[in-house]
Amino acid sequence: MAKFITIGERIHCISPVIREAFATRNPEPILKRAKEQLDAGATYLDVNIGPAENDGEDLMKWAVKLLQENFDNVPLALDTANRKAIEAGISVYNRSKGKPIVNSADAGGRIENIDLAAANDAIVIALCSAEGIAADNDERMVHCQTMLERGMEHGMDPADLWFDPLFLVVKGMQDKQMEVLEAIKMFSDMGLNSTGGLSNNSNGMPKAIRPIMDSALVAMAMMQGLTSAIVNPCDQRLMETIKSCDVFKGNTLYADSYLEL
Amino acid sequence: MPFNRKPQKFNAAIKTVEIGTGDKKVTLGGENVFPFYAFDGEITNEPKVGVEISDLGLENEVPGVKAYYEGANTIGEMAKKASEMEGADFVCLRLEGGDPNGANKSVEELVAVAKEVADAIDAPLVVEGCKNVEKDAELLAKVAEALQGKNVLLLSAREENYKAVGAAAGLAYDQKVGAESAVDINLAKQLNVVITQLGVKPESIVMNVGSAAVGYGYEYVVSTLDRIKAAALSQDDKMLQMPIITPVASETWGVKEAMAEEEDAPEWGSREERAISMEIQTAAASLAAGSDAVILKHPQSVATISRMIQALV
Repeated sequence: MAKFITIGERIHCISPVIREAFATRNPEPILKRAKEQLDAGATYLDVNIGPAENDGEDLMKWAVKLLQENFDNVPLALDTANRKAIEAGISVYNRSKGKPIVNSADAGGRIENIDLAAANDAIVIALCSAEGIAADNDERMVHCQTMLERGMEHGMDPADLWFDPLFLVVKGMQDKQMEVLEAIKMFSDMGLNSTGGLSNNSNGMPKAIRPIMDSALVAMAMMQGLTSAIVNPCDQRLMETIKSCDVFKGNTLYADSYLEL
Repeated sequence: MPFNRKPQKFNAAIKTVEIGTGDKKVTLGGENVFPFYAFDGEITNEPKVGVEISDLGLENEVPGVKAYYEGANTIGEMAKKASEMEGADFVCLRLEGGDPNGANKSVEELVAVAKEVADAIDAPLVVEGCKNVEKDAELLAKVAEALQGKNVLLLSAREENYKAVGAAAGLAYDQKVGAESAVDINLAKQLNVVITQLGVKPESIVMNVGSAAVGYGYEYVVSTLDRIKAAALSQDDKMLQMPIITPVASETWGVKEAMAEEEDAPEWGSREERAISMEIQTAAASLAAGSDAVILKHPQSVATISRMIQALV
């Protein structure tokens, strides 16, 4: 089994520092966050440029080149609602360390992002929702099937569709948590890869609590067969949990220094 | 439906480590397929065979070994003959005489032996200590210093002395470091991690993950070799991608099947044939399970294993 793949979420235009850096094309804050995340053990980095309606293509190209040139062609997840910006990013992307990830498609209005990934030999995060959150796992799996078929019709390897069950916030949707975990098991039983914004679960909780909730959830989700997650890799407790679960699952061979690797 | 062959391709490879200098230098590792799976991908560097000689000379050797070295009066002359043996890729000098519980030769005396051997041959050289961790820490560091420029492999850095051996061989004198664990896959990985953390380049490390004679817990050796190669290739585990060397002779020549004289065990037949058989079987199994090099003693074993490798790669 392959090691769990972490996608670092900290280059995100919701952060004022990053938004400003994108707007002024200032490399420093972006490189700093990239380095922190890679040092902490992230495999992929997510690059969220927001809707980027005006200069998305130029901005994504700039960000992809900036990160890959400075960090040995680090593999990236291109995260924006602007499809042309994703295509522009892929056009300058070096895939020696891994295919680009299109973040993201769903079974509704964004289903064409699967076609985009297929046309560019990319991975796509396939959100199992259409218009709003799936009501139950029957609906989630219908979305999953729809997207899987769409990808395969366009010649994709099913392994390149990473299904996202949509992690839900505990405060307010506590009763839905096991259902999300069961959906991961269903993906896994079908031999499919999966991912998601795991820290959604702890939104609104005190800062000191979040790493504990995130770590517990990642352990349960990995048990169910989750193969990747979009996380804050600078959360040491979370990363230690992932590395420990990789040992239990046989994804990595144990050595006393395993946390340092 | 026609048979559709799917090669087992890995996006990972064993690192290559060079030993020796000039035309005779050997390269261990580099493969990205399972042992001898030449049908899945090209094996550029076929496994290598080393010939073991000892600073204790030939006194306890079987007639066939003595006969091969006839006429060699010094350790240097022995080394030369060893390097010319049919099928030999490198020479391994065992400094057994350093053992404090045995001949307890001084470090200076043993360093002089190592120098004499290194100067007598142009084949790559592996130097093995006396297995006493304190003595080896000093001895192998001094050997590394004395043989600068020869690019030798020193066996071994162990859990107890990896700092001294690793720093001298891998950092100060730019030799190659053998990382030895005793059939313990987790320790094998851990040693690579800590030796790398000292600053030794991964391309300067060769693993000795332990051995045994067939019939003496050898299943564990095979499963260890198997699991290391699987993790190195299928999980791209960088801390297990060092090539593996297995000293075979030092294990097989010490077990009762190889030691008992024919008069004591007539039903077992010729002692020498038995011992050669143990050596060949153990070496063949080690190579099939993932060793990139084996160290043998008897000329017949060296020639046989070498021919086996040529036939399979």
